[in-house]
Amino acid sequence: MPKTGPVISEALENENDSRETSKAGYEHMGDIRKAQKELLSRRHFSVKNQIYLGNSLLFLAAMIMVIVLIINNDRVNNRLKFLEFVDDFSSEILQARRYEKNFFLYGTNLNDAIENIHLAESIFITESEQFSELLKGQRDRQKIFAKIGVYKSLLQQLYQHEQQEKKGLHTTPFAKKIGLKLRDYGKDILATSNAMINIEKKAIEKTLSHSRYIHISSFLALLAFLLINTSLLVSRIYSTLNRYATYARRIAAGDFRLIYPRRKFRDEFTDLAVAFNEMIKEIDTRENILIQTHKMKAVGTLTSGIAHELNNPLNNIMLTAHMILEDYHDLSDEERIDMLKDVAVETDRSKKIIRNLLDFARESKSTMESLDLSKLVADTLHLLENQIRFSGIGVDLQFMENFPKINGDVQKLQQVFVNLLLNAIDASTKGNKIQVIGRLGDTSESVKVSVIDHGQGIPKQIQSSIFDPFFTTKVKGQGTGLGLSVSHGIIAKHGGSIKVESEEGSGSCFTITFPIINFPGINTFTF
Amino acid sequence: MSNPLEILLLDDEAIVGKRLKPAIEKINCNVEVFQDPQLAVERINEKEFDIVVTDIYMDDMDGMQVLDIVLKKSSRTKVIMITGYAMISLARDAMEKGAFDFIAKPFKPDELRVVIAKAAKALGSSVDLNTLLKKQER
Repeated sequence: MPKTGPVISEALENENDSRETSKAGYEHMGDIRKAQKELLSRRHFSVKNQIYLGNSLLFLAAMIMVIVLIINNDRVNNRLKFLEFVDDFSSEILQARRYEKNFFLYGTNLNDAIENIHLAESIFITESEQFSELLKGQRDRQKIFAKIGVYKSLLQQLYQHEQQEKKGLHTTPFAKKIGLKLRDYGKDILATSNAMINIEKKAIEKTLSHSRYIHISSFLALLAFLLINTSLLVSRIYSTLNRYATYARRIAAGDFRLIYPRRKFRDEFTDLAVAFNEMIKEIDTRENILIQTHKMKAVGTLTSGIAHELNNPLNNIMLTAHMILEDYHDLSDEERIDMLKDVAVETDRSKKIIRNLLDFARESKSTMESLDLSKLVADTLHLLENQIRFSGIGVDLQFMENFPKINGDVQKLQQVFVNLLLNAIDASTKGNKIQVIGRLGDTSESVKVSVIDHGQGIPKQIQSSIFDPFFTTKVKGQGTGLGLSVSHGIIAKHGGSIKVESEEGSGSCFTITFPIINFPGINTFTF
Repeated sequence: MSNPLEILLLDDEAIVGKRLKPAIEKINCNVEVFQDPQLAVERINEKEFDIVVTDIYMDDMDGMQVLDIVLKKSSRTKVIMITGYAMISLARDAMEKGAFDFIAKPFKPDELRVVIAKAAKALGSSVDLNTLLKKQER
């Protein structure tokens, strides 16, 4: 599983910090409470809130864009209306000028010209107020207004003269003088309105292109916002789910390290972490019960051997005591002392035999410590001496010199070796040899211990199930089917692994690999 | 008074020999004590003993093998088995193989002396336990 690589290396880094304090391996209720408290004491920021927040921000952004677009649209509309107004105005002026020309050519239409200039003036008065902004302020308006006023008054002057002189006015020098002025003003007004039209046209074009720009950019901005929002959400959910898949795989493999806070806030996944920790606690408790149950079974097996072994020192004591009683008066002081010393030594021997078994049987609080596997295996063999002697099997112990120490729980590991050796004894027949070999592992950071028997072997088809709980090949009542499963669990807690190689008829080899330095502490799952 | 009985006592526990040798010698027997089965077997091959007392579980060789060797050498020799690992199946095996008797550890010196007396009787010899018992009473 290459995916778990970084997580594991991260875990190992944490380990180096926590190794000092990780002496409690199995029963760690206090740690669980601490982990749960740490998980829950962070600021709450749920996935639900992130979704709500993201959507609200998205809505807000969309709203701002719509408002900007509406404003821009209004502006275009306004300009178009203004254009219409200028156009109306300019066409009235044009008409007035046309009649003005007619007057100077034929002496007609002066009334019409005045009417048109009136219309133009009234358009300008009513509408210009509305577009004051577009007319560049009051001064420009006043200017145009003044020009229209002059034009109108010139026309009115002509009209007054026409009323007095009747016909032929348009040919008089007076009329010609006014005509020149009228032409200048008319041109000026038209040019101004044309200029306004041009400016407005450009302005409208600009506003329209501006509107296009706003459309495109707001679309792109929305897209970007959606992308960021979605990717934030997805990465948060996806990476967390991935991490949980890793945790689940590790728990399934027997690694019961707790989950500790990793982020600065808590959310729905925190509830999951809390539930995981609860589950780990439950599984751990149950496994410990299972380990202890199976240990009692092993103790039962060992007890008959121990009871028999006790008979030897007891016999020595009994014989000595009776001989002291029988010969008390005939014995010299030295002989009596010698015999009593024998009694003392033999009682001590009895005590040790019982102590060995009791040490093994005791349900003590587990502690992880630096230990010498070769000594542990030798002690275990001592515990099994009677079973080995009964079955007439030889045991060959080969540990390489300066065997590296490992970190572990003496009691639990002894249980593992008791299980493996009892299995090996069961599988062997009289005269067979069992080999226990300790050597360096495939990497320099691990050691391997193999328990090899030359017994009946394990059929290929059941090799994959032998570590399953309650799987047994023994007759009903003989085996619990827990030995290898419990051993597997214990080894997993030590960060090690156990493998079997076996061939039917020629024996089995169980190999345990232990890490030399690193073993899972309890503070190494982080979340 | 008949000739003293020749007895070989084999047990890898040193104290057994140390205590039983004087105990058995008191009932007019000659006792040779061994801790190492190999040496004991060598001695058995050299000399015919009347009675062999042997432990069953020893490191190099077990008492059953000693029983076979003794009986092969001399079928009249009575072999008494003593063991701490007293199990019915083991006792039955020993008896079937021709052991004279089977004593479970722990036992008192007198228990062995009674069995030796029985064996002596079976050999047509006799061991006087009464004098010893009287002596103890005194």
